[in-house]
Amino acid sequence: MIVSHFTALVLFALFVSTVFALITKNEPREQFRYGVFVFLSFLAVAFAVGWIMYPLPL
Amino acid sequence: MEQVNNPVQSSTQPAAIELKRMNMTATLAICSTGWLIPGLGHVLIGRWVRGAIFAACVLLMFVLGLGMHGKLYDLEFDEPLHIFAFIANIGTGMPYWIAERLNFGLGTMTWPSYDYGTTYLWVCGLLNYLIVLDAFDIAQGRKP
Repeated sequence: MIVSHFTALVLFALFVSTVFALITKNEPREQFRYGVFVFLSFLAVAFAVGWIMYPLPL
Repeated sequence: MEQVNNPVQSSTQPAAIELKRMNMTATLAICSTGWLIPGLGHVLIGRWVRGAIFAACVLLMFVLGLGMHGKLYDLEFDEPLHIFAFIANIGTGMPYWIAERLNFGLGTMTWPSYDYGTTYLWVCGLLNYLIVLDAFDIAQGRKP
């Protein structure tokens, strides 16, 4: 199976944020809001770190 | 001065959730089951939906990790740092042993998604540890 890095990142963020939201919050509304927050945070941090590393000669 | 129950005031307060506490033997049995088969601990407590979602997340991550040619680590004392990877991997429970028996998870380092696959396999095991702890808390009446 060949998955692009971005797809793998999105799936990873989706699974982890779902589990985190269900574990840390009790009310369905809170779980949804927290899950979305964690998911978007994963993506935002990944984009930020990706752009920071872009000019580095690796 | 004697206080009288005010029906208006009492109706505005949130209803207290009754937390049931299981004995330690049952709790440990639930945790062991939840470790071996992800999500089953919550199903045994009666949290069907939560258990199903946990099972789907952990098992999908595990299968995707294997599909991305990630590596499952054995217990090797020659490489001490690999012990941590092994501990993360066995968090998945039964699927780990089945995959090992079927010779999955050998890891192809030249595969483009090898790193992601290995990370998926680590993280799904670590998430299952958190899920087991969540089942423990529910069984002990610490959370609803």
